[in-house]
Amino acid sequence: MNPVLKLTDVTRIHGEAPHEVLALRGISFEAHPGELVAVMGPSGSGKSTLLTIAGGLDRPTAGSVTVEGTDLAGLGQHGRARMRRTSIGYVFQGFNLIPALTAAENVALPRELDGVAPRRARAEARKALEEVGIADLADRFPDDMSGGQQQRVAIARAVVGERRLILADEPTGALDTETGEGILQLLRARCDAGAAGVLVTHEARHAAWADRVVFLRDGVVVDETGADRVDVLTGPGAR
Amino acid sequence: MSQRIGGWRVALRLARREAWRRKAQTVLMLVLVCLPVLAVAAAAVVWRTADVSGAEGVDRRMGTAAALVSGSGTTAVLQAFDPDSITSWLGEEEHVSTEEEVRSVLGSERTLVPLAQEYLAYETRRGRADLLVTQTELADPLTHGLLRLTDGRYPRTTGEIVVNAAAARRGPGLGETIAVMRSGSDGEIRTELRVVGIAESATTRDRPAAAVLPGAVGAPDDQPRWLVGGGPVTWDDVRALNAVGLFAASRQVLSDPPPDSELPPEMVSHAPVDETTVTALVLVTTMVLLEVVLLAGPAFAVRARAQARTLALVAASGGTPAQARRTVLASGVVVGLLGGVLGVLLGIGLGALLMPLAQRLQGTWFGPFEVPWTLLLVVAAFGLAAAVLAALVPAYSASRQDVVAVLAGRRGEGRPSRRSPVLGLVLIAAGVGSGVAGSGAGGASPPLVAASALLSVLGMVLVVATAVALVGRVARSWPLAVRFAARDAARHRTRTVPAIAAVGATVAGVVTLGIALNSQQAADERDYDPQFAHGYGVVQVEPEADPSAVRRVVAGRLPDARVEELTGVRSDSEAGWTEIAFQVAGEDLMVQTTGAFGTQYLVGSSVPAVTGLDPAARERADSALAEGRVVLLRGSEDEAGEGAAAVDLVRAVVRVSDEDGTPRDGASVEVPATTVPAGGQIAPAAAILPPEVAGELGLSVGPTALAIAPTVPGTAQADLDEALATLPGTGVLYVERGFRPDDSVRILQWVLAVLGGVLMLGGTLTATFLALSDARPDLATMSAVGARPRTRRRVAASYALVVGLVGALLGAPVGFIPGIAVSRPLSRGDDGATLLAVPWPLLAVVVVGLPLLTAAAVGLCARSRLPLVARID
Repeated sequence: MNPVLKLTDVTRIHGEAPHEVLALRGISFEAHPGELVAVMGPSGSGKSTLLTIAGGLDRPTAGSVTVEGTDLAGLGQHGRARMRRTSIGYVFQGFNLIPALTAAENVALPRELDGVAPRRARAEARKALEEVGIADLADRFPDDMSGGQQQRVAIARAVVGERRLILADEPTGALDTETGEGILQLLRARCDAGAAGVLVTHEARHAAWADRVVFLRDGVVVDETGADRVDVLTGPGAR
Repeated sequence: MSQRIGGWRVALRLARREAWRRKAQTVLMLVLVCLPVLAVAAAAVVWRTADVSGAEGVDRRMGTAAALVSGSGTTAVLQAFDPDSITSWLGEEEHVSTEEEVRSVLGSERTLVPLAQEYLAYETRRGRADLLVTQTELADPLTHGLLRLTDGRYPRTTGEIVVNAAAARRGPGLGETIAVMRSGSDGEIRTELRVVGIAESATTRDRPAAAVLPGAVGAPDDQPRWLVGGGPVTWDDVRALNAVGLFAASRQVLSDPPPDSELPPEMVSHAPVDETTVTALVLVTTMVLLEVVLLAGPAFAVRARAQARTLALVAASGGTPAQARRTVLASGVVVGLLGGVLGVLLGIGLGALLMPLAQRLQGTWFGPFEVPWTLLLVVAAFGLAAAVLAALVPAYSASRQDVVAVLAGRRGEGRPSRRSPVLGLVLIAAGVGSGVAGSGAGGASPPLVAASALLSVLGMVLVVATAVALVGRVARSWPLAVRFAARDAARHRTRTVPAIAAVGATVAGVVTLGIALNSQQAADERDYDPQFAHGYGVVQVEPEADPSAVRRVVAGRLPDARVEELTGVRSDSEAGWTEIAFQVAGEDLMVQTTGAFGTQYLVGSSVPAVTGLDPAARERADSALAEGRVVLLRGSEDEAGEGAAAVDLVRAVVRVSDEDGTPRDGASVEVPATTVPAGGQIAPAAAILPPEVAGELGLSVGPTALAIAPTVPGTAQADLDEALATLPGTGVLYVERGFRPDDSVRILQWVLAVLGGVLMLGGTLTATFLALSDARPDLATMSAVGARPRTRRRVAASYALVVGLVGALLGAPVGFIPGIAVSRPLSRGDDGATLLAVPWPLLAVVVVGLPLLTAAAVGLCARSRLPLVARID
């Protein structure tokens, strides 16, 4: 099975010498359909950089990033934006919903940005909201919703339009334990339905929802003990 | 008390730091406060410099003399401190004042230099033109200041002359010979003089002027005038001069006038304070202040919001609402002070830069550069007031903000007030009422009309918040960018409402003035009465004129022109002044005429086309003349009057007044008559007589005017005028061009559209870019879910569109209220009918065109790079 996301020897250097910071050093990484991969590691280990590069928000200094067979490095700004509208969904810790838009409109946003007629986009959004269990809140504004509800909207936005790669950055960070578990359950369900998920977290119990855990330290993938460098960590079921 | 000052000190320090920290925002605020202050300050500097007053003006009038004394023509007069303002003749008999009389009052040791200033004519390259000639002892130090020599030298003999640049441009220049003509009772005296210098007159810049030694161009017709040297001429001296029939402008009295109680009671002026001017001034000042406050408002709102978290933390740790309010208000104080001072200083600089340009537009010479500090202080205070007022609403919102919501990071504001739209509608209704009351048929009341403008605009401002909320609600089915802009605008009302209100107020003002101007112009067009047929030109000729010379002049300039001689009764003949009365049943028929053809009674066997009769009337008149009937022309005003009924038979009675003015009846004859309508309100001539009737009445008949068939181009007219002026007994050329809208109206409409555009652009741009900087996180989110870079442009353009369109749609109808109120008195005709001429193209430009244009401009100028979520947290 072809991986949905494939990072090959990705290096990302922030800034310029002599003040350069090596955020990622030659990382290779894959996520396959139906798989939820947890990325763990201490602060500053490069988790978030990994996600921004996987989503095409940032470009690697070296190495290649392929999403559903398309090399992001070969795409321009427009092409990467299109990938985010059609193939990649983001879920943020701070929800990042647009307060001026209703829940349904927030979910419909990627579809509308992709040129889908508003009516159709909204219908798809309602379906997505139904799938995350909050269809009745479709016309509410984010400020009138609880944190858990907002994060469900964010997940609905990340999956709407049959996108197959979900990148979640600490999606439960701003939620209480119970609500957080619900959100992870939802993510797991989306992956079981065929999507590939990458979950950045620093809580071990969240990693339990994942098929596989990747540890990052100082920009390299290390083994579970966190001691040795693991050069290749691919293939499903490597847990 | 000291605690209160202390509170302000902290607030001011915070505001100063904040202003420094958010430099871009501060610059924006400063620009908004600074620009109007700068414009007014520059205008004030130019105005004060252009306005020649006090000692400056005295120098221009009397050189270095102590006084300018002039004869009155009689033996006793009264005058105000300045004889140019109010004077009164007490003497009955005619009297020519002499130098001895002046000396008898002021002392025999005084120097007297005769000064005459009169309009004569001179030969230009194209014909002749007026020339303001000063005759005085140009070498005498008393005359210094009347002229300024720029080239050559002053005349030393009576055969020499200096002219100003304006005269030299149109006629002979330095070193050439100029011919100056004085026409008197015994014909015209022509004097040839050599131009030895170019000297500018202190009084006029753009009109031809010259100066010669006394007697160079004959004796002046006017009363004698003298420049008086020696010590100051006091008010008592002036009164003594008045007692012998002399007027005096004294340097001392003009520069330092005695109290009004010294004036003779008849000379005290009771000029009433002009209500309209005061009202207009108050209205303009209030509207400008409102506009500045509204334009600067969004910037202060955004700054207050940026401080919201700090203020919420202060409140959470026990700060009072008053402290929060003060912190925001202090921003207004800091920006207002800085903006006021900066605006005034830059305004003085701009005024100095504009001075040469302003001088070119002005016919008189400017005085030395002058800075009206007191006025500028008021202008700077205006800037401060505007900034503080702009910070007022954000300050109150800041003091009442929901601390919990702010600390929880919820953006946006609560529901709009329910009371303010109601109050707004009440104010608008009051504006309508005030407009109706102030523009009724009973007489217009400027204060009521001004109140109508202010009330309706203020009402509109109060309605904006509700309108914005409403737009947010109906945005559901709109395209994403517009929907986002509309909803975001509704969520951030303290930022959006003033910007939209500023656009609305601008549009309302433009619409009001546009309707007023257009209606007045429509009324002028309605009331316009042509002199004769459209497109024709007419030159009146006196009996001594040579019509063929006129033909030659016209043919020289307009080879294709058809020139027709109009024959008529010459009223002014050797026998005396001739009038013809047309009597029906012994009563004179009253007929008004414009006298455009140099006679009241045309003579001919057909009707000249230049009369402008409509074809049917002309045909009827022609056949009547062929039958030997008299054709009576009647304007619509005559028709409405007495004796309007058609007349079949009249008795034409010739009355000749002799030199004493007593009329005596001459020949009279009973003739059949036909009455035809003249077409206009007033007929160009009273009647057209068949030649045999004129002969029967023994009238002096000859050419009275020449009609030039259409059309004399406007460009040729100035040339023709100057050429015709050289022909004796020839009047000026009048060309009937129909109603010509005043150029100033068109220019004003352009100015309105441009000013409206600039203000709208200002309001829209501030609101849009403040909104964009506020919307950074939202744009970052959009980017994360795959927005194209151009989405930012679309959002920016949508913001501009929402602000511009909502403002324009609110402002335009509001502008109709004072617009109609102003147009009613302006367009009221004699019959009491009023006109309402709405300038639809202007309206379309302002309401639809400008918002779209602004949106397009904003869309193009906005950066297309989307912000990135720097760290997805």
